Parts: sequence; C-alpha cells; structure tokens
Amino acid sequence: MNFQRIIFLFSILLAGCSKPSDKIIIATAANVQYVMQDIKKEFEKESGKKIEIVVSSSGKLTTQIREGAPFDVFVSADTKYPQEIYTRGGSDEKPKIYALGTLVLWAKNIPSADLKIEILSEEKIRKIAIPNPRVAPYGEAALQVLEKQKSFDQIKKKLVYGESIAQTAQYISSGSVEAGFNALSIVLSPEMKGKGQWIIVDSTLYKPIEQAAILLKHSADSPKKETSRQFYDFLYSKKGREIFKKYGYK
Amino acid sequence: MDWQPLLLTFKLASITSIILLVVSLPLAYWLAFGKFKARGIIEAIIGMPLVLPPSVIGFYLLLAFSPSYWFGAWIENLIGLRIVFSFTGLVIASVIYSLPFMVYPLRAGLQSLPLSLQEASFTMGKGRFETFYKILLPNCKPAILTAFVLTFAHTVGEFGVVLMIGGNIPGVTKVASVAIYDEVEALNYTVANQYALVLFAITFAILLIVYSINNRLLRVRQPA
Repeated sequence: MNFQRIIFLFSILLAGCSKPSDKIIIATAANVQYVMQDIKKEFEKESGKKIEIVVSSSGKLTTQIREGAPFDVFVSADTKYPQEIYTRGGSDEKPKIYALGTLVLWAKNIPSADLKIEILSEEKIRKIAIPNPRVAPYGEAALQVLEKQKSFDQIKKKLVYGESIAQTAQYISSGSVEAGFNALSIVLSPEMKGKGQWIIVDSTLYKPIEQAAILLKHSADSPKKETSRQFYDFLYSKKGREIFKKYGYK
Repeated sequence: MDWQPLLLTFKLASITSIILLVVSLPLAYWLAFGKFKARGIIEAIIGMPLVLPPSVIGFYLLLAFSPSYWFGAWIENLIGLRIVFSFTGLVIASVIYSLPFMVYPLRAGLQSLPLSLQEASFTMGKGRFETFYKILLPNCKPAILTAFVLTFAHTVGEFGVVLMIGGNIPGVTKVASVAIYDEVEALNYTVANQYALVLFAITFAILLIVYSINNRLLRVRQPA
C-alpha cells in the first residue's frame, strides 16, 4: 500500500469521527444517577431529542470539565463544584439549585425498630460507612450529624470513607459495614429496593444539602446549545421537580 | 503535605514483598522443575492478576471479606478481625494482586540455570532442599532482586484494589495512590502534585538502583 492511499484511508476514518452530533451529554453526580434515568426518559419523550448521561463524582466531573471534557450540563451534588466552574469562566450564568438532598441512615442487617443514630456507638456496630466528607456533600452532612453525638470519639474510630456516595452504598448494601449514611434518592431507587432498612435523619442536625446544576458554556454556533438550554430548563420545570420529589428530594 | 500515606505505602509494599518472596520461592521452584499435570491451570491462576482489572479483584475481595458472606464471617469468628477496611486486608489483597510479579521472574531465573548445576549437586549427594538453597538461589540473585523490586514497585502503584476494599482510613488504609486521587477529587492539585512527585522520584530511584546492580551482576556472570 502506498503512502497516499494510507493518508486517504486515514482521512476517511477521521471524517467518520468528526461528524457533528447534537446529542448532548449530561455530567451527573452519583447521587442523582437514578433520578436522571427518569428525567432522561421524560425529557426525551417531551423534546424528541436524545441525551447521554455520564455518571461520576462531582469532584471528578469538575476536574474533567476544567480540562475541557465535552459536557453540556453539569448536575452536581452540591453548590461548591459548579460555583468553582462558574468562577473559572466555564459558564455564562450562575449555578442554580435544583433540589435539596435528604440524608438517611442505612443498615443491611439491623431491624427498622432499632435503627437510630444512638445505636452507632454500640459495640455490635464495628464499621460505619460515610461518603468522603472532603468531597461528597452527603459525607459532610453525615459528619455534622455524628459530631453532634456525645459518643463521637468512639464512633470516629469506626468510620470508613467511600470515595463517592455510590461506593458508600455498595459498602452498606453488601454488608461490609454494619451501617452507613447515604442519600434518600439512592435508597429509594429501584436498584436498592429491599437491601436493608433505612431511616431519614433529622434534617435539623445538618446544614441543607443544596444541589445545583450549571449550564456549561457553548460557542454561539454550537448545534448543542439549544438542546442544552432546553434540558437545563427542564430540570427546573414543574415536571422535572415532580420527578426529583419522587426520589425524595425537596 | 502529610507523609503518612507515603509511609503507609512503603510499609505495605515492604510487607507484601517479604511475604511474597517467602511464598513464591518454593512455588517458583515447583513450577520450574516440578512434574505434574495441572501446570497449565496453576500457571493461569497465578497469572490472572496480570490481566484482570484491579476493580474485578477488588470487587470480589470486598465480597469475600465482607462479614455478610461466609468467608468473611468465618474469618471474623475465627480471629475476631474484620479483614475488609483493615491494613491486614490490604496486605492480603496485595499479596494476591502482586503474586505473578514475584513468581514469574523467579521461575524464569531458576529455569535459566543449566540443569547440570543441579545434577552435579545431586550426584555429590546433596538433597533437593540443600541444592535449592545453596546452589540454585545464589546463582539467580539478579532474578530474585528483580522479582522483589518489581513486586515492591507494583504494590506501590496499586490503586484500584485499595480503593475498593480500603475505605480510605487515614493511617490505616489511606495509601499514597489513594491520597493523590483524593486530593485531585478535592481540586487540591498542589498537594496531589507533591505526593505524585515524591512517588515518581522514589520509584525511579529504586528501579534505577536495581537495574544498575543487575547489570553488574550479569556482567560478572558472563564469560569474558
């Protein structure tokens, strides 16, 4: 095969890759992943457009967006990360809160009647999982709750940290830990149904978990601009809010 | 920068390498000279960690060590220790994960020795163990060194398995690779960078020393 032919084949290959698509990509925080499936279905039905969902932790998604990942809307688990993107000029408008998260205490093998925060200091609870409080808002909230307990010093020794809400859920639902904290939206999801017992944590014990989304910057002639805006608005629409409510968000 | 994750990493790597050396020497000898039918199966099992994604190993270890499953429950009853989220757990996981990095170079080293060396020793009335210990091992020092260091370095670089079963507990299971991941996640690039540079420098130095020593050892053995 001569050189020109190779070049020719390569250019065909590349042409196939660069075909512009108006399918938008939604960067989604792990705690919202199950809700997002419903949102996606509803949005696609309403708009007739297809969207793609990428699930990861908010910290990782923020890093990726900073380094130029081709995401169109970022649905974060908190307000800190989207704010960081906004400050760095990744968007033309400020992030907006779409939901308030609810913290739950969750255990695989403890009967509902016994499940309360006080039980965590008991000896039979050997390990307690919380999402890493440095990066995950639900972990931060869980730590606030625990710090208010009299026996915090005892509890602290039992803590293990999931790198995300999803990993923490895995630790709890697999029974690797006796109990742990998670998001109401996760325990309400069909995937986690029947995997242990949970109770809603008194919301006065932690600062509200404000979850915000941000519409990422697009060039004026981007084919994705319009759909992204449409999706962003859908998150805050009546229909969007109803879906979030179904999953326990306020 | 907190030095604890780095110290923990090197502690884990040292313990893992020493355990693996003890376990792998007989194993490598057996694989190199043993006569048995199931060789293919044994070799495939030992080589699995080379190919499997660490997440697969981590996932299965998490389930195996979890007190909700029989193995984890059995261990916990037996010795009262929960392996998952403990340093012991990391050591066990690393031993499994780094096994081929120890066994393969050792076996290759043993196999590369001329058979006449062993036979001479046997003829002179020495037993298998003595031959192995006094004749074979001293003659494959480069292989032992390579195996040890590769295992050490591979354990330092371990990430996926630790992330899955470690639980990120400072001073217990939060090793350097996980600490770096953590800092990046928290958008704390400066600290992540410092950890990464230290790891970079140390691992480079280790490998450099080993290969220099090995080159010298090999040159000595080559007939002029």
